[in-house]
Amino acid sequence: MDQVLYISKLSGLKYFQNDFTRIYFGQEFCERLLPKIDDLERMVAFSEEKDVPLTFVTPYVTDSGLAKLENTICFFAEKMTGAEVVFNDWGVYQFMEENHLDVKPVLGRLLNKQKRGPRIMNIIDQVPKETRDYYTGASLDVQAAAGFLKKKGILRVEFDNLLQGLDMSGLDKVIKRSLYMPYLFISTTRFCLTANCDAENKGIGVVPCHKECEKYTFNLVNPVMKVPLIRKGNTIFAVNENIPELVSRGEVDRIVIQPEIPL
Amino acid sequence: MKILSPLDYTDDIGQLSDAGAGEFFCGLLNEEWYQKYPVISINRRPAGKGHFRNFEELKVSVDEAHNFGAKVYFTVNEHYYVNAQYEMLKKHIDSAIGSGVDAFILSDYGLMAWLRENGYAVAIHISTGGTVFNWRSAKFYCDEFGAESITFPRHLELGELKTIVEKMPDVDTSVFVLNSRCINVDGYCTFQHGLAGKQVFPMFRNACMLPYSVDVFFNKEETEVISSELKERILERQKVWEKVHVDDHPCGACGMYELREIGIKSLKIVGRGNPLERKIKDITFLKRLISVLDSDVSKAEFRNRSRRLYTETYDRPCREHMCYFPSVMERNE
Repeated sequence: MDQVLYISKLSGLKYFQNDFTRIYFGQEFCERLLPKIDDLERMVAFSEEKDVPLTFVTPYVTDSGLAKLENTICFFAEKMTGAEVVFNDWGVYQFMEENHLDVKPVLGRLLNKQKRGPRIMNIIDQVPKETRDYYTGASLDVQAAAGFLKKKGILRVEFDNLLQGLDMSGLDKVIKRSLYMPYLFISTTRFCLTANCDAENKGIGVVPCHKECEKYTFNLVNPVMKVPLIRKGNTIFAVNENIPELVSRGEVDRIVIQPEIPL
Repeated sequence: MKILSPLDYTDDIGQLSDAGAGEFFCGLLNEEWYQKYPVISINRRPAGKGHFRNFEELKVSVDEAHNFGAKVYFTVNEHYYVNAQYEMLKKHIDSAIGSGVDAFILSDYGLMAWLRENGYAVAIHISTGGTVFNWRSAKFYCDEFGAESITFPRHLELGELKTIVEKMPDVDTSVFVLNSRCINVDGYCTFQHGLAGKQVFPMFRNACMLPYSVDVFFNKEETEVISSELKERILERQKVWEKVHVDDHPCGACGMYELREIGIKSLKIVGRGNPLERKIKDITFLKRLISVLDSDVSKAEFRNRSRRLYTETYDRPCREHMCYFPSVMERNE
């Protein structure tokens, strides 16, 4: 079982211990927080020094973000031939494919669509079995979906640790699976409510930011949500620390540990 | 630019077309699906209003729309479907094809792959759930699945739309300009709305519209303590999440000047399930603004007239927090 340390900033290296078998580094949610090439270079050096493989994690991006990301991915592909890149935007995948980059594409959790809102937990035991199966399932159990991924050389898919549980029994065996813990993402926006949150003139929309997400985190509580929601930056998360049984059954071969919210 | 209108009933087609609708989108939810998936739609709309009831009715509607020269696009745009749903999905899609729909609006790459693998030569339109934020993702859907049209996310600014259209000039594009401007990215939002009837309101209501008790904390690297004054200021905007849908009347009409320059093909009105009167009002509003554009006005004049017309039509002023293109509002033109 791969045990992965997932960090979005260099400062996260303080969590590194020798029993980690891989490091994820990068950003899934905000193109403004894309790592600089210098930071990636330091991560590459760390990975080589510790002899631990490095996976580069990428967000959804506008064309402006994509232009920056293209340089970073090319740098990474050159430095770490054959290494993994987690993509959360089909445009990022298309760039890597069109340019024949020597990397292993991994389908990120934003593109592995599943329902994650904690309200589901209020009804999960009352809905028909078919509905319950839907909530614990994923489109990866559709042969055409798995076949498409395999045809495109995408042989790993990232999963959140859903509060309602996961059923991986029907999933394609060739495609490997990672499980993210303890933070699961629930929703994200470009209309970031953390950006400028401590300023007088805030605005709504795609507003400039001063990386207020590095300073503040919000908790949102409503009784109908079985667990509190956490707003960090432009994204809503929840926590699930329960280790599902499918881990002991070997249905995932990689646990991705987020010691901090990766934003 | 065409006006892409929601459609729920055959009888509405004449009036919607007369008002200016040039294309329609619609969905259908049948009893078999509802029995197994009472809280999961087949097309991003909860059970109830906003769906055709059967395929006979859909066929009559498609024929009627075609008589008015309008195409009909059929939504099967849940973000994902699982294998157990495909038997019903196949029947659903086959019946829609039999009804003569002109294209399918889809989000799930798995369903797109399944359609192509099984020889369905149907036109595919990418739903906003397909999250096309850049030209390469547009190219991905066109190259891999032959997508002919893309509905953009609500979170792209005008300049960003322009870049994509310039790079992908051969794909049709549509942009939301009226109603339901969700603050979260549709295709990356995993909340499930409508988990119960209205009588259990906290389960029925959209998750982002619920009242939350919100608190703010410094991240652990910070050593300061947040003063109550600062805390109040920081928390102020967090309530937007609950209010952004509050009257379901957001508008991006001011941006139509640029949208036409960019080459956007369709202006999409959210509103499957809205009353006919509201649909007609929305279409008429946009149609009048297209006429203003046709009269070759300056950008500044168009802005003024669109804002005036919005206020006249809906009896409310423009509001930044309800604007699809707030950057347009901020400019002094």
